[in-house]
Amino acid sequence: MSAILEVSDLRKAYAGVHALDGVSFAVEAGSITGLIGPNGSGKSTAIDCISGFQKLDGGKVVLAGQDITGRVAHHIARTGLMRTFQTVRIYERLSLRDNLAIANQQFDAANWLDELLRTRRYRDAVEAAEKRARQLVELIGLQRYWEIETGILSYGQKKLVALAAALMPHPKVVVLDEPVAGVNPSRIREIEAALGELNRAGETFLIVEHNVEFITNLCHRVIVLDQGRKLAEGTAAAIHTDPRVLEAYLGMTPEMAEAEMRGAA
Amino acid sequence: MKLLAAPLASMVAALLLAALPLVTSSNYVIGIGLSALIFTVAAAALNLIYGYTGLLSFAQLGFWGIGGYATALTVVTFGGNFWWGLLWAALVNAVLAIVVGYPTLRTNRHAFVIVTLTFALLVTLIARDWVSLTRGPLGIPNLPAPEAFGHRFAGTAQFYWVAWAFSVAMLGFLYALCSSRIGRTLVAIKQNEPLVRAQGIAPVPYKLAAFAISAAITGAAGGVYCFHLGIIDPLFLDFYYMQTFLIIVIIGGAGSFWGVVVAGVVMSALPELLRFSEDLRMVIYGAILVVAMFVMPSGVAGWLRERQLLRMREHVR
Repeated sequence: MSAILEVSDLRKAYAGVHALDGVSFAVEAGSITGLIGPNGSGKSTAIDCISGFQKLDGGKVVLAGQDITGRVAHHIARTGLMRTFQTVRIYERLSLRDNLAIANQQFDAANWLDELLRTRRYRDAVEAAEKRARQLVELIGLQRYWEIETGILSYGQKKLVALAAALMPHPKVVVLDEPVAGVNPSRIREIEAALGELNRAGETFLIVEHNVEFITNLCHRVIVLDQGRKLAEGTAAAIHTDPRVLEAYLGMTPEMAEAEMRGAA
Repeated sequence: MKLLAAPLASMVAALLLAALPLVTSSNYVIGIGLSALIFTVAAAALNLIYGYTGLLSFAQLGFWGIGGYATALTVVTFGGNFWWGLLWAALVNAVLAIVVGYPTLRTNRHAFVIVTLTFALLVTLIARDWVSLTRGPLGIPNLPAPEAFGHRFAGTAQFYWVAWAFSVAMLGFLYALCSSRIGRTLVAIKQNEPLVRAQGIAPVPYKLAAFAISAAITGAAGGVYCFHLGIIDPLFLDFYYMQTFLIIVIIGGAGSFWGVVVAGVVMSALPELLRFSEDLRMVIYGAILVVAMFVMPSGVAGWLRERQLLRMREHVR
């Protein structure tokens, strides 16, 4: 496997506080990579900088061989990186169908003139997007809300809509910012299953999340940030027994962690 | 069938409106119809930038005035005809909208409101004080009736057809635009701009295009309207016009194409229907507005939509 997303030496400071202090990591194509760390460790800053929502002070971001450092957000999205947001962002006053259609429209061949004149190319593009949207809606189990404004959905369902929207244009990397925070446990298992299925179908994910069980179950590799630096990196199992991680993030000793692992199993 | 209902109804309504000069010979009534058509176009243009894109633009008043002056000056000073005048009005306004919009749209929505308001005030000043061009407070009277194919559209009844054809064409274009995915993208930008950017869509070109189109159409509408009045002077930039367009958009429901079109016709006619009581006319008009806003804070279209949403909620529960 090769790295589809490579970040090196990311630096970002707010008023002298180093939110990112030389963070480097890579996301392998076809993998699920977890990015964890205590509050304020720089996870969100890292993905905001990678996706172009914040300006980096230094460092380099390479997506599929292209240097996207310092590009604007919409440009990075076009290069193939789609992201969701920690506080769920969807178009609440548009239908589920429109939410998904908009997510894809920048990625088809129809231009504004096609749109205005409703040309064949436009109709084909709309049809193809609709087909993809239907598949994703089935995957997230929200078929009955197809024509309905997404504002009436529950918080967990909205997170699923945001996830489906991010997947619409077959991006090279999907970055999920806390996909299960605030979602009820049974729904978390559904999301977990859906992500696993998508990953087996070839999607690459970078996931920021606090839910350790979720990360452990899904991720091939986990990167741990603390105070703007990379504290550890490895498989979920290795991270779980890393004393530095346990101390910084979980606030436990290795023995406590082991006991918890046994309890969970 | 339901899909065809709105376009069909609008075609019937357009044809009925076209027949107005055939049913009445009263220039007063035809004049109200003409104002209703032109105000509806200007309101629909405001709806594009405010209702769809979420940018409250007071510059519409300036575009309206510039459009009027551009058309009048093309005919009176530069020796062109009325149709060229309209084209110039649209072009000049589109360019101005891009020049004003480009830096302003990079800031935020509040700055946009302030800058557009300032722009409108500036245009008012220019109309009054740049006497060598605009002839100042005296204005440009005796605007000639336009001609096409050897026919002179003289008199209110004749000119009504010009205004009608113009309105139908502009509303048709705006409908095509608003109902396409360009319109949907504008709504998406209004609702969640960061998400739009995360989906690879650059918001600024969309906003700029919406502003420029809105400006061009408002300008051309101003051009038609001042030839109806037969004179253009700084009073053409009275805040009354801006207020009328805004009321139409808000009562009709910002972001709803048909809501604004229907409100345009109704709200233009309403002050005239209230003429039975000259003293209380505007008081009643104001009271109707206040009550309408209490009952339907998001306009008629918003009110209908909320009811529909309630039914949807029942349906999915």
